[in-house]
Amino acid sequence: MGGATSSLLRTSGLTKRFGGLTAVSDLSFDLRSGEILGLIGPNGAGKSTVFNLISGFTKPTAGRLELFGRDCTGSSALTISRMGLVRTFQHGSYMKAMTVRDNILIGTLQRLRGPARRKCVAETAEMLGLTSCLDRIAGSQPHGIQRLVSIAIALAARPRVLCLDEPLTGLNQTEVGGVLGVFQRIRNEFGTTILLVEHNTKAVMAVCDRIVVLHHGQQLAEGPPLEITSNADVIAAYLGPRHDR
Amino acid sequence: MRRRDHIVWLAGGLIAVAATRLFQDAYSISVVNLVFIACLFAASFRFVMLIGEMSFASAAFVGVGAYGAGVATTLLHWPFALAMLVGPVVATLVSIGFGLIVLRIKGPYFMLIGFAFAEAVQIAAAQIQVIGGPSGMVGIFAPRILDAWMQSFVAAVVVTALYLLYRLEWSDFGRLLGAIQNNDNVARTVGVNVLGAKVTCFAVASFMAGLAGSLTAFVNNVIAPSDFGFMLANFALVYVKVGGERSLFGAVAGATVMVLLSSYSIVLGASNELFYGAAIVVTILLMPQGLAGLVEKIRLRLMAPKAVRREA
Amino acid sequence: MMSATFVQLVIISLEIGSVYVLFSLGLTLIFGIMKVVNFAHGQFFAVSAILVTILVPFLAAHGLPVLPAYFLATATTVAVTVMIGWGVYQFGLVRFLRDMEGAFILTLGLAMLSDGLMLSIFGGAPRPEPVIVPGTVRIFAVAVLAQHVVVFGAAVCITGALYWSMTATRLGKALRAIASDHEAAMLQGIPYRRLSRDGFLIATALAAIAGALMAPISEVTPAVGNDYLMNGFMAVVVGGLGSVPGAILGAMFIAVIEAVGGYYVGPSAATMAIFVMVIVVLLIRPRGLLGRA
Repeated sequence: MGGATSSLLRTSGLTKRFGGLTAVSDLSFDLRSGEILGLIGPNGAGKSTVFNLISGFTKPTAGRLELFGRDCTGSSALTISRMGLVRTFQHGSYMKAMTVRDNILIGTLQRLRGPARRKCVAETAEMLGLTSCLDRIAGSQPHGIQRLVSIAIALAARPRVLCLDEPLTGLNQTEVGGVLGVFQRIRNEFGTTILLVEHNTKAVMAVCDRIVVLHHGQQLAEGPPLEITSNADVIAAYLGPRHDR
Repeated sequence: MRRRDHIVWLAGGLIAVAATRLFQDAYSISVVNLVFIACLFAASFRFVMLIGEMSFASAAFVGVGAYGAGVATTLLHWPFALAMLVGPVVATLVSIGFGLIVLRIKGPYFMLIGFAFAEAVQIAAAQIQVIGGPSGMVGIFAPRILDAWMQSFVAAVVVTALYLLYRLEWSDFGRLLGAIQNNDNVARTVGVNVLGAKVTCFAVASFMAGLAGSLTAFVNNVIAPSDFGFMLANFALVYVKVGGERSLFGAVAGATVMVLLSSYSIVLGASNELFYGAAIVVTILLMPQGLAGLVEKIRLRLMAPKAVRREA
Repeated sequence: MMSATFVQLVIISLEIGSVYVLFSLGLTLIFGIMKVVNFAHGQFFAVSAILVTILVPFLAAHGLPVLPAYFLATATTVAVTVMIGWGVYQFGLVRFLRDMEGAFILTLGLAMLSDGLMLSIFGGAPRPEPVIVPGTVRIFAVAVLAQHVVVFGAAVCITGALYWSMTATRLGKALRAIASDHEAAMLQGIPYRRLSRDGFLIATALAAIAGALMAPISEVTPAVGNDYLMNGFMAVVVGGLGSVPGAILGAMFIAVIEAVGGYYVGPSAATMAIFVMVIVVLLIRPRGLLGRA
């Protein structure tokens, strides 16, 4: 890998059709090393499908997916996760019936052996502020904690690319602030590159270096937050064409 | 597992094996053997339940274990230790192939194909004349020295096997199995080979089912295809549910209680199926967590008044 | 030119297949709607078949001509079986809607219970097949018992009627909506509990009708439920669990293997062949031929 601007993930012409419905159409974007990239768009814009495509959970109809400089089009979810791209899911990306400790442990299984696993669980929990509830059953914890557990599992795998699917859903203002801080710490301490899908646009603007806007499965705009907020197409897509300035 | 757990297992195991010496008449010995073998089979069935699947194919693997012992002893004249292990090893190998095909997808496919597998294996055994066709095999004897010690031998093998299953369940691998049952996609996203883990779990359980089969053959000396239909696996499910599936001890308790009760109910003239069917219907409707859950409930109720008093 | 053997095998396949289709349709409906694998399905089938073999001779002995006797017996039997089904649903299954494991274990227990009960009440000996339509029919120079043709015709009509009602009636459309997307159906205000009960009772009636149709063409024992259940399971697995056309396709698939295998190598080998073929299908299509990904 070269400098800070080298691309870890690159899609070109990525397309996914379900029957007659085109969920993602000719999408090309890249994720640069060390950045936090936001993927936003109105409901039904195809964000989740993009996530499934880049994590190998669905196969693209057309187009190409390149990960760490290698062609990964059509690779399985297992192959992609082992290459260092780890994702979370929008709904319950953790194990309800298990303790927080065992939840995080699952993230370490592939990468570490023996006592190193316990050490990594402790470190990860420390970083996310989960140390005090390690022995509680994850499903019995408040929603905010559950969200953090999901992130902790993914983080315990120490991915090079961390893809978070709506990690802020259902969190209150304070919690959102806390989690955004966590994202920055993850990036700064581990050098992890983060791809963030969120509908909380304000939060995305606050934390992301760059933003890609999806609309009807297509890329509508791309650029730093400030540029995006003033982009006429984006405003139209979010508010409807009649609100055009 | 903590160090204390190992000591408890060692002590408990020794006591269980020693206790088998208390039984000396033929009938009691046969019941003791049945109880221990049922415990092993129940634990094997429950082990697959850790990944949220029910393995009715296990009935066939018990059969494979029994026939392995039969063929190795009466046809090939292999040494006893080898005859004990050949069935379980074959069961493990077959289960790996079976699991790789059927465990790929979620849903009840694995369970349903398991029934068909048990049927097919049972029918196949009845067709092969070398292994006695429908009438099965006779004269499967353990070495003479074991004659007076058979029930203790069975107990020792079963306790060791249970200990190994318990250790596995409380290892990181066991936690992974629990995670797969809970949410297999998460395990997949952090680089775990989920199919591999499921197949490994199934293979371990199938080895134990095969071992239960080998023991059955040497205890009964006579085996027939009809002993190993899918109904056998239904019984294992009953053991696990009646005892409580949350812990290995629940399965063991369920097997013990059900085998003892059913050997009594046969005396009363009720058929095994009727009895087991009634037991599981009552369990699932009235005490979904089984006997273990019931004990827990009673314990909580007994402790509750104290807690209230303390608060007052 | 068609050989007599070929014609005969086609006829046997259709005959076995028509009963399997009715049987498997019930299984797949219950799975689609309730996400329940009903292990007791075979018992409804067996109860119905046995009652018919008892009622037909009984009614005939009281002076009723055999065909009306059969119709009356079938109507009574289906009513009784559906009543039992209602009891099973109301006092048991309703607590396990969409709980695949719990419901399966409950129905498995009920099946074992019913198996044991029927064996002690009716005994294990095969019951004679009542003759409802005497004589034979010639199809492509092959003599076929007339009542087999009648049974086949009835099965085709019922399957057709079910298919039509699933696509054309309100109930059918609602049931399909639940099967394809439970949450969306709930959001549209479809009364799930009532409909799942209706679906279960329709499936039970199908099993009962299949049992009544099977009684005149094949040996009936209390164990017949389990034999059909295993092949029914294989049919829905091959076709894709929850899929109605899949159940029909799967049932015919199993019937053809059973007919052809049974003719050339015997019934035992046919059962093994079914297992092998199902595994082959799953190797190629893990969710069955028409299962959704």
